[in-house]
Amino acid sequence: MNNVRTDHCFLADIDFADRTFPFSYGALPARLEKSIATAGLLQPPLLVAGKNGFRIVCGWRRLEVLRKLADESGEDEILVNLAKNISLQELFRRALWENLAIREFNLVETADIYCAALKIFTLDEVEKKIMPALKIPLRPRFRGRCQAISGFSQELRDLLAAGSVDAETVDLIKEWSADERSALIDLVTESGLRRNKLREVVGRLDDLARRDQISPFELLADVRQAALDEAGNIDVELLRRQLKARLYPQLTAAHLEFVARQEKFPWLKPFRLDPPPDFEGGDYRLNFTFTDSKEWEEICAQLNAVALEDIDELCRRS
Amino acid sequence: MNSAAVVSLPPAKYSRSLFRPTTVLVEDEASDYPLVESIVGRLPNAEVVVVKRPTSADLVRLSQEFSPLTTLFLARHRGRFLKACPGTAETYRCCLYQILHLGLGCNIGCSYCVLQGYLNNPFITQFVNLDDAFAELDRELARPGTFYRIGTGEFTDSLFMDPLTGLATLLLDYFGRCQNAVLELKTKSVAISALLDYPGEIGETIVSWSLNAPRICAKEEGHAAAIEERLTAAALCRQRGYRIGLHFDPLLDFPGWEDEYRQTVASIFAHLKGDDIIWISIGAFRFMPQVKDVLKENHPQTNITAGEFIRGLDGKQRYFSTIRRRLYRFLVTEIRRYAPNVFIYFCMEDQYLWQDTFGRAPADNQELGHWLDKCCYRYMRLKGTEAEGAK
Ligand code: SF4
Repeated sequence: MNNVRTDHCFLADIDFADRTFPFSYGALPARLEKSIATAGLLQPPLLVAGKNGFRIVCGWRRLEVLRKLADESGEDEILVNLAKNISLQELFRRALWENLAIREFNLVETADIYCAALKIFTLDEVEKKIMPALKIPLRPRFRGRCQAISGFSQELRDLLAAGSVDAETVDLIKEWSADERSALIDLVTESGLRRNKLREVVGRLDDLARRDQISPFELLADVRQAALDEAGNIDVELLRRQLKARLYPQLTAAHLEFVARQEKFPWLKPFRLDPPPDFEGGDYRLNFTFTDSKEWEEICAQLNAVALEDIDELCRRS
Repeated sequence: MNSAAVVSLPPAKYSRSLFRPTTVLVEDEASDYPLVESIVGRLPNAEVVVVKRPTSADLVRLSQEFSPLTTLFLARHRGRFLKACPGTAETYRCCLYQILHLGLGCNIGCSYCVLQGYLNNPFITQFVNLDDAFAELDRELARPGTFYRIGTGEFTDSLFMDPLTGLATLLLDYFGRCQNAVLELKTKSVAISALLDYPGEIGETIVSWSLNAPRICAKEEGHAAAIEERLTAAALCRQRGYRIGLHFDPLLDFPGWEDEYRQTVASIFAHLKGDDIIWISIGAFRFMPQVKDVLKENHPQTNITAGEFIRGLDGKQRYFSTIRRRLYRFLVTEIRRYAPNVFIYFCMEDQYLWQDTFGRAPADNQELGHWLDKCCYRYMRLKGTEAEGAK
């Protein structure tokens, strides 16, 4: 690499807060820590002189590991590559491709890189070079997603970087106020809601908020309260059921009615009768088990004795 | 029944294209077709740019240079023009309609438009190789003993830019003399001047309007004509001799829907008699799951997808059946109050709801198709086909 020389530098001289080249965000991979602890730094990070010390162009995670290790060993002099007389754009490009060659970016990194690129490159360059490299489609929704993530609280960004919150959820909450988002984080922290269930919960909150023209904040407070178990903890399954019942009142009523209807037929006890999913279409399913021909015969006899009106009544749509 | 009370709009309205592009992109291989010349001739101030046959990626790139809101793309269609309606699976009853695929996209801007999720071409596109389309029709319609209902309003609105393309006239020239096919032009516009002024035989052509509740029209249907305007245009077309089709699709569940739909039904029969109407279709709102995000992105204000939607047997989101039943029963009862004998059918609905609403259900798609064919025979003297009244 021209205009790059290898040199020694002190960790204290590196500006870890600088985000001009925001290629890394999130927890450090355990494998990297182990590798550096065992074998030392094999590939020096790339730095460039900045206002408050050296800026990290490439190698933020390696340097973070070294910083951690230095806390224990006191060893803070390291070998780095220093860039000189290379434009910001060129450094950005090199760092982008070097990172892309070895890993996928998480959602926060992708968003931060996009937003940082907007400050360094023309819009045309961002659209033609950076966005395709980051696999960001050229649609407003995806740009808006990146910009929203860049402005999220650190707590939320940490959850995103860890993969506990997905992109679809971001699209739903990006228009929420900071207070609403922070109430959601509290809910996640308290309840341990995992990614897919969180997306479902947020999707339903969003639908309800739009349908009933109320704020997600009010709704959240409401359902949270209703989903507390006896010990005062949030019961995730209860929370999901509450939301479903609110969003699908008629479907919920139809299910309850179907369950009640089955009670009228004692002969159904040994069987399990499943209605068509969401009562759409007409296929009911009767489930039973048997261990031998005798049991089989008994079941057949029971079924043959069923009055056809009972079947019509069971399959009647509410 | 009321007799048609036609209140005419200023005639200019009927000859105005809803789409007035400022740029016309012409695919190089399409530039010699006469339709290109006539369209470009009607847009004297538009910039005309000839482009090499674009790939999907090129189209995306071109859409950054030329806004799809103001750009018309004229291209050659290489596939089949006549296609079966996409809903022909047997999970829900489909009427076996045929689509004459002459263009793509529309600028009316309905929030619920399914095309938002379908098309990977961002431009409103007009296919210009009409000779290929008519040659294909000649071949297809030569099949003996087959009757065709053909529409152009599936991937676009049939008339929204007709004053620009002049397509309706060309289609009337063809279908006006057709013995075993009817053409249905479906629209939410009132660009009907070519239909009214057509000098020749109009054959059995049906002009259809999509209708909805006035509030839905105002909130969700972009710059479509108002319901009253559509019905006034329908009455004018009826006077000229066209049969009128009406389509309540998508039927939506929203607070106050009964009053709103009641109003629309009353408006219909203030403009048309039951006998003027060849059919009325009803289809409750449904959408592919992936359209939900696109729809929210394009129309952030709308809340039409925030309801009791379940996954239908065709993979589309649709209202839970109890809601559909309520909507259908109400609308059918309202229509029947004015026109007890008008033929009403469901677009993509299941046997159960057919039976529940009408007391009868088509056994399969063929039967539903046959019912609609019979509606056409009722008004036609088709060669070799005995006229038979639709029930
Ligand atoms: S008129 Fe039809 S094609 Fe045009 S936007 Fe509305 S639904 Fe889509």
